[in-house]
Amino acid sequence: MSARVLVAMSGGVDSSVAAAILREQGYDVVGVAMRLAPEPKAGVARRRGTCCSHDDFEDARRVAERLDFPFYVMDLRADFASRVIGNFVSEYLAARTPNPCVMCNREIKFDRLWERARALEADCVATGHYARIARGADGSYRLLRARDPSKDQSYFLFMLGQEQLARTLFPLGDMTKSEVRARARALGLKNADKPESQEICFVPDGDYAGFVTRNVNSSRIRPGAIIDANGNWLGAHAGVHQFTVGQRRGLGIAAGEPLYVRAIDRDSGDVLVARRSEISSSGLIAERVSLVDPGIANEREIRAEAKIRYRHAPLAATLEFVSIDRAEVRFDSPGPAVTPGQACVFYRGDEVLGGGFIQRAMEY
Amino acid sequence: MAIYLDHNAGAPLRDEVKAVIASFLGEEMANPSSVHRAGQRARRALERARDQVASLIGADSRQIVFTSGGTESNNLAIRGIAAAAASRRRIVSSATEHSSVLAPLADLAHHGFEVVRVAPDFSGSIALERVIEKIDESAALVTLALANAELGSILEAAPIVAAARHAGARLHLDAAQAAGRIPIDVDALGCDLMTLSGHKLGAPAGIGALFIRDPTLLAPQILGGPQETGVRAGTPNLLGAVAFGVAAEVAMDTMAEEARRLEVLAASLLQRLSATIPGLCLNGPATGRLPNTLNLTFPGVLGESVLIALDLEGVQVSMGSACAAGAVEPSHVLLAMGLSAAAARSSLRISLGWNTTAAEVAEAAQIMARVWRRVASSEPFAAEALR
Repeated sequence: MSARVLVAMSGGVDSSVAAAILREQGYDVVGVAMRLAPEPKAGVARRRGTCCSHDDFEDARRVAERLDFPFYVMDLRADFASRVIGNFVSEYLAARTPNPCVMCNREIKFDRLWERARALEADCVATGHYARIARGADGSYRLLRARDPSKDQSYFLFMLGQEQLARTLFPLGDMTKSEVRARARALGLKNADKPESQEICFVPDGDYAGFVTRNVNSSRIRPGAIIDANGNWLGAHAGVHQFTVGQRRGLGIAAGEPLYVRAIDRDSGDVLVARRSEISSSGLIAERVSLVDPGIANEREIRAEAKIRYRHAPLAATLEFVSIDRAEVRFDSPGPAVTPGQACVFYRGDEVLGGGFIQRAMEY
Repeated sequence: MAIYLDHNAGAPLRDEVKAVIASFLGEEMANPSSVHRAGQRARRALERARDQVASLIGADSRQIVFTSGGTESNNLAIRGIAAAAASRRRIVSSATEHSSVLAPLADLAHHGFEVVRVAPDFSGSIALERVIEKIDESAALVTLALANAELGSILEAAPIVAAARHAGARLHLDAAQAAGRIPIDVDALGCDLMTLSGHKLGAPAGIGALFIRDPTLLAPQILGGPQETGVRAGTPNLLGAVAFGVAAEVAMDTMAEEARRLEVLAASLLQRLSATIPGLCLNGPATGRLPNTLNLTFPGVLGESVLIALDLEGVQVSMGSACAAGAVEPSHVLLAMGLSAAAARSSLRISLGWNTTAAEVAEAAQIMARVWRRVASSEPFAAEALR
């Protein structure tokens, strides 16, 4: 009997091709779409192209019919609301900038979906992520960047450990996006040229601050002042959740030169702004750190490249663990603004060593 | 071969139905309203089907109107009576009705009707006195399911009929699940309207009927030609009606024997599952139920997972209703009965029917116990997940 694989399908071209490839390779494919985001409230624009809409599931269903494998929709809205949306809101309220896609992978795709895979007797889970899994000479699993650097999604997967990698498949890791689209067209998939989803699926209008405001009691909102490096009051703001470190636009203040958010103080509500040259950092403290191969934690100082936001270039750095899951990350030369709440992922060349969540910039 | 235990969603076509459809495919198909002889033959076939359907519920053929199915029948009954009601503005129903009753009621409530939806007790039964106390001179219609689709519980209709008659309100019974499974006589019941559905009996979906005691009481909802005594315009679905007629006749002929057989099978399934799944609960009343339906709460698991795992092992059951995206939602009937959201999410409906065998029941029981154990240990279902 062939191995059963649970393929997480969004209806997009990537996960559809991933399912098709596995089906062709002879796996016993079971397609699942996850219902995650709550129904949009009336008045909020509903955009095509974000995941989880009824239409997208219909596309995933067509792929499954065409390639003749079973397909189901799983209702994980309750888990998503408590573990991803709840975290998103509370992080913003705490003056941090969350990455809900990382949380969704960590809490939903590689946790809840895994439980479901066991319940359905699946041997592995597959997704349409662009990343690669390889085995080292010692038999350990390694997580690698995708072959197509413009599509690489390994940043979102740093939390995977040996046990998960052993039973995870990323069929697209060796393909470029254009190869995937060509494959989709060859398969006659209706969604071959579908635009990619960009926005956070539960905030289709892209207004994160508005989402937070709508979803919490106003007593939890922390308003405050915008203050420059010399302690001058530049203006008032309606809540710390509207800001992210490194932000320039939308500060609502007039100044002679561009100012950027350097730090946000949850307790006082102060948003500290500074000139571009003043917001750079020399390093950061990462918490909830996990390593793909925990063996490397034995090295006292680990040389790595740290990627502190998905779209940022990695920075050469030295890691030092200060406790079991906390590490100091010192950049070789000063880096851009460090944003608390974002994932910091450690690479060595193409290999993902692990990562964690940014607690704060390192003090000088 | 899959084991199909979802007859309340729709029964597989009966062999007799397949045979009559096949024989019809060789015939010339004509419009039963046409004057020529082909039209006359079509008309005879349609009227014969009407006779067969009428016999199933002890009705006169002239009181049977063919529709596109149970949903249309319920809409026609409810909206038709509401539209014809002069000054009466109340409609009495229950919270456990099918969506094709609840949705038109919600619409009428929006348009100024006073809709009373009586809540069931914890066994899913509708307290008769709570229905009866709402039936007064302001009531235009009382609409209730004769058998609940999800629980299989059977309504004790007689006291309600008496109250409705006394108050001058019309009584509609949704018998989509009851017809063909328990003996029904519309005259003994005394109802004014009754919904029937073809595909619950082994005819194809797309054909149903509404029994209407007096067509003048009801305003047509589909306007056009004079078909179906002017109550439901449109060329009738002849092939569907003929299939429905045959399915109704077979159900009528085999009802007593089938009821006994299915009751034994359902009891055997329940007994086997209770013996292997500690904490398994049967939802719905202990007696007064359809012989074929079991609604069960499987402790400590998500029904959705069990449903999918069972399907992968070839056992087909159902849960609540499917949303537009295809995900399953917990049953509104179980929630109305007062089950917790967690218990409702842990519940599945198993419904047997004409093609269910004892061997299938034994095998399904084994598979269900195995799947339940595996799902419960792999994916513990904590109430925390429901916050």
